[in-house]
Formats: sequence, structure tokens, C-alpha cells
Amino acid sequence: MNPFNSFLYGSNEYIGRLYLIISSLIAFGLLTLYSISSEPLSLSSSFSRQIIFILFSLLIFFLIGRINIKTIHDNSTLIYIFSFLLCLIPFFLSPVENTYRWIDFGLFYIQPGEYLKCASIILIAKYLSNHQLEVKEGYVVIIPIIIALMSSLLVLNQPDLGTAVIIFAPVLPMLLWAGVNTFNLFLLIAPVITIIAAANNIIFNIWALIMFLIFLTFQGNFIKKITIYFANIFTGLLFPFFWNDFLNGYQRQRFLDFLNPDLDPMGSSYHIIQSITAIGSGGLFGKGWGQGSQTQLKFLPVQESDFILSVIAEEFGFFGISIIMILFFMLIKTLLDIAFKCSDYFSSLVIVGLTSILFSHIFVNSAMTIGLMPVKGLPTPFVSAGGSFMLLCFIILALVTNLSKN
Amino acid sequence: MLKIENKADIFHYRTLLFVLFFSISILLSRYFYLQVIDYERYSSKSQVNSIRAKATYAPRGLILDRNGVVLVENYPTYILTVTPYKLSDKDSQFKVISEITDISIEELNRRYKKYNQGRFLPTVIAKNLTFAEISQIEERRLELKGFQYKRFDERLYNDVLNDAHFLGYLRELDRESLPFLDKSQLYRAGELIGWQGVEKQYEKQLRYSKGVEYIEVDTFGREINRINENNIPAYPGNNLILSIDARLQQFSKNLLNDKKGVILISDVDTGDILTMVSNPSYSLDIYRGETSDGDWDSLLKDENKPIINRTISGLYPPGSSFKLITAFNLVEDGLLDPEDSLMCTGSYTPPGSSNTFKCWKEDGHGLVDLNKAIAQSCNVYFYETVQLIKLAEWTNTAKTFGFNFKTDIDLPNELIGQIPDKEFFINTYGRWGWSERGVLLNLTLGQGDILVTPLQSLRYINHIASKGKTAKLKLNASKEIEYYEDINFSEQTWQRVVNGLYDVVNVDGGSGWRAKQESEVKLYGKTSTAENPHGEPHAWFNGFFDLNGKTYSLVVLVENGGGGGAVASPIAGKIVSFFTDLNIEMAEK
Repeated sequence: MNPFNSFLYGSNEYIGRLYLIISSLIAFGLLTLYSISSEPLSLSSSFSRQIIFILFSLLIFFLIGRINIKTIHDNSTLIYIFSFLLCLIPFFLSPVENTYRWIDFGLFYIQPGEYLKCASIILIAKYLSNHQLEVKEGYVVIIPIIIALMSSLLVLNQPDLGTAVIIFAPVLPMLLWAGVNTFNLFLLIAPVITIIAAANNIIFNIWALIMFLIFLTFQGNFIKKITIYFANIFTGLLFPFFWNDFLNGYQRQRFLDFLNPDLDPMGSSYHIIQSITAIGSGGLFGKGWGQGSQTQLKFLPVQESDFILSVIAEEFGFFGISIIMILFFMLIKTLLDIAFKCSDYFSSLVIVGLTSILFSHIFVNSAMTIGLMPVKGLPTPFVSAGGSFMLLCFIILALVTNLSKN
Repeated sequence: MLKIENKADIFHYRTLLFVLFFSISILLSRYFYLQVIDYERYSSKSQVNSIRAKATYAPRGLILDRNGVVLVENYPTYILTVTPYKLSDKDSQFKVISEITDISIEELNRRYKKYNQGRFLPTVIAKNLTFAEISQIEERRLELKGFQYKRFDERLYNDVLNDAHFLGYLRELDRESLPFLDKSQLYRAGELIGWQGVEKQYEKQLRYSKGVEYIEVDTFGREINRINENNIPAYPGNNLILSIDARLQQFSKNLLNDKKGVILISDVDTGDILTMVSNPSYSLDIYRGETSDGDWDSLLKDENKPIINRTISGLYPPGSSFKLITAFNLVEDGLLDPEDSLMCTGSYTPPGSSNTFKCWKEDGHGLVDLNKAIAQSCNVYFYETVQLIKLAEWTNTAKTFGFNFKTDIDLPNELIGQIPDKEFFINTYGRWGWSERGVLLNLTLGQGDILVTPLQSLRYINHIASKGKTAKLKLNASKEIEYYEDINFSEQTWQRVVNGLYDVVNVDGGSGWRAKQESEVKLYGKTSTAENPHGEPHAWFNGFFDLNGKTYSLVVLVENGGGGGAVASPIAGKIVSFFTDLNIEMAEK
């Protein structure tokens, strides 16, 4: 095989399949963007801009493809520190849309928070792939969580809740992949679920029961288990009290505003209603390309990025959205295959981390369009319009290609 | 290649695969539920009607003068919009519109393209519809499917005082400018935005905050029903009160009449600008209606440059007022005794040179001390004394007074002028093409490569009037007073120069005697006659005076007007007496 082909397809057949899936997703995205642009061929339309972003990202893709994995492995701390500092730069610049997320390069914006996601994964992977690490010990979870927490807190201050949450997404799968004790992992997520479940009495009771059964199943010190169990229950019981009585309405609003600064002044429930109407009215086979009345009448907000799946669902119907979902499923499965078949442990862990990021974007974005999650400005990989995130996706792709060569 | 073999477990692989499968299934089943099971419901909802958020507007803030005279207000007009996808036959419909409104079809097409926001959104193609036009459109409603007229507030300017230069104007936003604007303000193409002057500077304050109204519309976008829930009201913009005094502004403008030039008056203690005249100007009324491209062109090409605000964007040599820079250097650094006299014979020959530099008074001023040198603007005195100063020190002093920097006035497009330093001369004339002594002879007269804006000159005179602790110049009366960096000269230094300025106007032989007041008011000032390559010299008068315990300053500049003493001083004198009368009138009320 000549070097170009071996670069493109790597040494295993999965990479070829990966490229096929991603090309289909990109094509689907462009098709949709073409349908919603009023003048798709003018340079300012999201369609042409997307093509320019893709070409630019391809360039970066080939550049990153040239970097040796060993270089990445050995310099992971440096890469992390660099990305971390990059995230600090916007705080010294004038705010863009009242946030400190972007660095303005005049022609385009860069969102350094995106790259901190990758850098955190690489650093965590390096720590977990160390052969002297006793993964069965409970303390192993501490360092990865500290790394994620540091990145997350920084991004939260920009403020960017979406990215801050996504930074945490890879931690659990990576710990699982590394073979950390499953019960310890459960202890990590239990309090979060407790707080969320506390919103509803019935759900909370069901959750308390499930938690009880899990605690029974796993082995371990009885006293310790009981303490942790009741700590969880009390957190859940106290949280609504804290939220409703301790904070007054004004403080709650301040807190919510802080968490969600891009809340549209026209109201986010309006977005959800319009999105669901668009999706539902698409039916089995959709209204046809360029024929979606909800989309074309601009009922649907931010349709080129956050709500692009709603456009697809309206114009191509359940049939179209199923193709997209199957493509997403195959994308993630292929990535997991690559991670599993990969001969090197570090590479394998990094791929799992990167895959988690792509997946969490897919899930949060899709769930948002159908009203299963609150409105958060997270784009869909390879489909949504937007330069900074498209570039990140291609960087992830380049890293995966690179890592899979072992 | 790396140290560790992959020890991923098939159990973990399957766990993740299960999570993936489970999540995608949840998503797909929800899509299935919405699109297949609940299809009827959403389909009819999307067909019959849908909720649409519609922006609502409120008036833009007014602009008033310091006494409450309205300078800029709003008046309602009607505009004509077209929604592209509803058009039945664009060409013939445009022809009808062209007949009704007298706008050419090409112009209609140009606007149609320029302000287009997409097939489904209305685009503005005509403004200022008369009632006759509206009723004609109403009559031919059936032919004109897709066209709609609606109310749109425009700016209405004061008949007398509609000076474009500081008020600025609004412009319609086109699609190209949209990406560069503050997104939180929710601008849309076709809306008006402050584009120049205080309209631009205080855009945020003046602009209304948009509201939202939810309406139910059918598939054709027709309004069916208002939903009075969750509406966000629109709020009007805040008024802007300027420091300008309309009467003073008007009087000053009339004094300049058809002359090109600038008149600035300020309250030294607060930095408030009371008058800002830049002549020639143009009437803001041209923004009121449809201005043809030809009118615009002739305005842009007019060689008198009416569209330039000369007060902040006009650059002029300052002339003799810069002799004071030399004077400050001499006294503050103790380089000579101000009481010492030199002999002015009408010309000066630098040591070792064959060139002779003339004083403006050919037979000389005789014995001259600093006071007389300032009062009579003697060139020879400053030729000789500037030889005691280094170029770097001299330019430094000029910069201390704010030259070569913005005055930070609250207007866009301010220029900084030019104070040439060593580097400048090397770049311009080469390493050996100039000498420090030589250029200083020019600089001390405020000539040769120095360029200042009239507003910088006002700041300069304010620094002198307030003895170094000077309020920043501003046009917004409600803006908090800020200060320029203090200039820490000794009291004696300030006093020496101020004494000279007193003599300019009030002692026989002073160059500004024509500005002398008959009333008690004592005017301090300095005339300048600035030579320039474009014809007659520019006539300047910079001065200040105390009135009722407050200090006011003024700058008069007549472009290519002639001598500062002969042309600018009388204008300054008239302004001060008018101002005095005005003040007495006010006090009596």
C-alpha cells in the first residue's frame, strides 16, 4: 500500500468504514444546509461557509495526521497546560456576546474550551495507561476527576455550562475501560442522580430502592455502605429544601441565568415547541427537501446549528432521521471497535474518551430537539453548521486515525 | 510502540455498546412517537396555525440641548415591504409600485436585493409613503399580493439647528453589516442604527429595547390570533441631553456664515462643549426622504468638504499659539528670566548661518520681554529663545498638552494630528536632510509638519485656563466629569503665560485687540495666523474668559481667512459679548 493510502485507511478496515460514515453525515448536513439557505451559493450563506470550514478542517486534519503518537503521549502534560492557558486568553480580551468563550481572529472565532476537552482526555489516558497503576484501588478515580474538574471549573467561568458538562462525559467510560471497580464508579454518579431525582417524589423513591439493591449486591464494608447510602438519601431530601426555601426567587434566577447565559430573550420553551412541531409534522417520509414549512417560514430558531436535526426530521421524516441515527450508531460503534482492536493501551483509552465526547454531543443535541433535555447550545458532530466545532471533529478524527495505526 | 498492551475487556466493550444502543433507541423511539404516532396532531398544528414570535418596537430616545430644546425627535412614516414568496408576478407588480410611488423599477430591484432577508421575510422597498400612495396601494390590493405597508418611525430634526456633524444620523442596516454588530441588541436588516456623531456614540442609550409578541399565524404567515401570554414589552430608548447650547450654537454658526471654519465653546470647569460649529455643513433633512444618488455624489465631491466634521477630523497647522509651548518650556525649566528683554530688529539670523528669518513686523518690535513677545506675537523673540530648548523636550511639552493624542470626546472618527519628532524628521528628510535647530525655528511658530485638530486646540486652551487640572471635553451633559492627566507646572509658570494672554487682548499693541470687550468681562487669548500650502493663511483665535465665577473657553478658526488678529479676533469678541448678554438675561430670569 502506498503511504497516502495507508495514511487514509490506516492498517485496519475500520478506518475505511469510519470515513464512509462521516462522509455520509457531512453530505447529509450539507444537503440540509442547502435547503435552508435562501441564497446557498452566496459566500455569506451557512452552506458555503460550511464548505469552507470543511476544507480548512481537512487541511488541519492532514497536518495533525503527521504527528507521531509517541510525541502526543510524552507531551500530554504540556498539551494540557497549553490548552488550559489558551482558555484563559479570552478573559483578557473584550467579551464576545457577554461571555469569555471565544478568541476573535477577525474572520472567525476559536473556542479554546473545545480543545481543552481533547487535552484533558489525553492527560487522563496517560495517567490510566501507566502500567504501575493499581486500577482496582479506589483512589485511582481521584486524579482523572481532578483533571476534569479543573478544566470544567475554568470553562464554567467563561461561562459555558454545555462544554463544562461535556468535559466530564469521557471520565466515566474511560475509567470503566481502564477496569476501575464498578462499585466505585457507581459511587461517583450516585449523588448526581440523587439530586436530579429529588425533583420528583416518585422517581426519588424508585431511585432510593434501586440504590438500596445495588448496595446490597456489591461486597464491601457494611458500615461504609450504610453511611454512603444515607448520605445520598439526605442529599436528595435536603436539596429541594435548600433550593426552594434557602434561596429566594431572585437568587434562583441569578443561578439559572449563570448556568444558562445564552437563554434566548424570546424564551427557550418557544424553541422547544417550534422544534417539536417541526419534527412531528414531518411524519414518516417528511415534507420533502426544501419544503418544510416550519423550517422555511423560520419558525424554527438556530436551525443551521442547534436545531439542524429538527430540519432533517421535518423535511426527510422519520425515515431520514432514522438514517441519521443509524449513521450515528455506526459511527460510535466503529470508534469503539477501533478502540477495542487497538494494540496500544494509551491509544485505546484516548479513542474511548474522544468517542464519548462525540456521543455526548449527539445525545444532548438530539434529546434537546425532542424536548428531553433543556436548551443548550451544543452542535451535532459533522452535521451542524459552525467552524470551531467542525474543526474539533476533524481533529478528533485525525487523532483516531493516528492512534489506530498501532 | 508504546509501553503497554491494550488490555481492554470485552465486557467493558459490550457495556459501552449497550449504553450506546440504549440511548439511540430512546432517541429513535421518541422521534417515532412524535413523527408517526402523534403525526396527525403536529401536522395539523403546523398546517393550521403556529405560534410566531414577532418583534415589537418602541421609539428611539430624543436628543435635547442643555436647556431642553429638542434637537432630534421621531415622527411616524409608512414604509412598503414585500415578502418574496408571496409575489405572483414580480415584474408586473413592481411596475405597478413604480407607477404609484415614482421610484424607478431598477431602484426597486436594487433595494429588493440589498435588504432581502430570505424568501419568507418582508423586505423594505419604499419609504415615506404619502396617504395618497397608501390609498392607491389599498385600491389595487388584489394586484399587489405580497406587498404590505406599515408604520416606521424616522428621525425628525430641528428646523434651525440640524447640524449633521455632531448629531450624526441613522442608517438602514443592510445584510453585510449585520455580523459586525452587538448580537445582544438583536439587530435585523432594514432597521435603523446610529451611523455617525452622537447617534452612533450613544446608540446603546438611544436605541429602544425590542419586545416580543406571540401571535398565531397560518401557513401563509397570516396573523390569526394574538396570544397575550409571555409577551415582552418593548421599551423606548433613553433621551440624550447634550451639553450644547442651541442659542450659542446658532449665533456662532451665523457668524461664520459662508466662511469655512470652526467655532468651539466649552465650559472649562466641566468640559461641556457648548458650541461645536463646523462650516460648511449640510442639512440632516437629506436623510429624511429618499435622497437620490446624485445628491449624495455632489455632497461627497464638494471641494469644500461639507461632510467632514472639521472640529475633530480637520487637520490644521496651529500657528503662533504654539509659541506658548516654547514659553512654557522656557519658564518652567528656568532657561531664561521672563523679565529679560531681547532686541527684535525685524529679522533673525541664526549663528553660523546665512539664512535670515523675518519677524511679521518688518521694522521690528524693539526691546521685547516674554509678556510683550506673547502679546504682540513677536517671532524673533521665539526664534532666539527656542535655541535654548532641545527638540525632544519641546515635542514632549506639546504632547503634554494633549497634541498627538485623542481628546476622548464622545464622538466617533476623531483624528490625532501630528507632532513631528526626531524619528519623523529622519524618516521624512533623511538622516542629514534636517537639523534640530532649523526645524525648531519652524516648530516654535507652530508651522512646518505640525497638524492639530481645532478640538485639540480647545483642550490646549482649557489646560491653560485651568492651570493643568482639566476636565475632559464631552458632549453628553449627563456624563460624569473625568479629568485629563494633570500638568504640574509651577503657579508662576502658568501666571506668566496667562499674563501674556491677557495683554494680547487688553493692552494696546496686542494682536487680539479687536476681541476686547466693552463690558467688565476680561478675555484672555492668543491669535494665530497659520501659513499653509492651500492659499491664504488660516486665522485662529484661542481664548478663555471668566463669567459669573465660571470659566469658559473658545476656539475660532477661519480656514484660509487671513490674519488671526484681523479675522478671528472680531468673531471671538462678538461671541463673548453675545454670551455675556445671554448670561445676564438668564440671571435676570
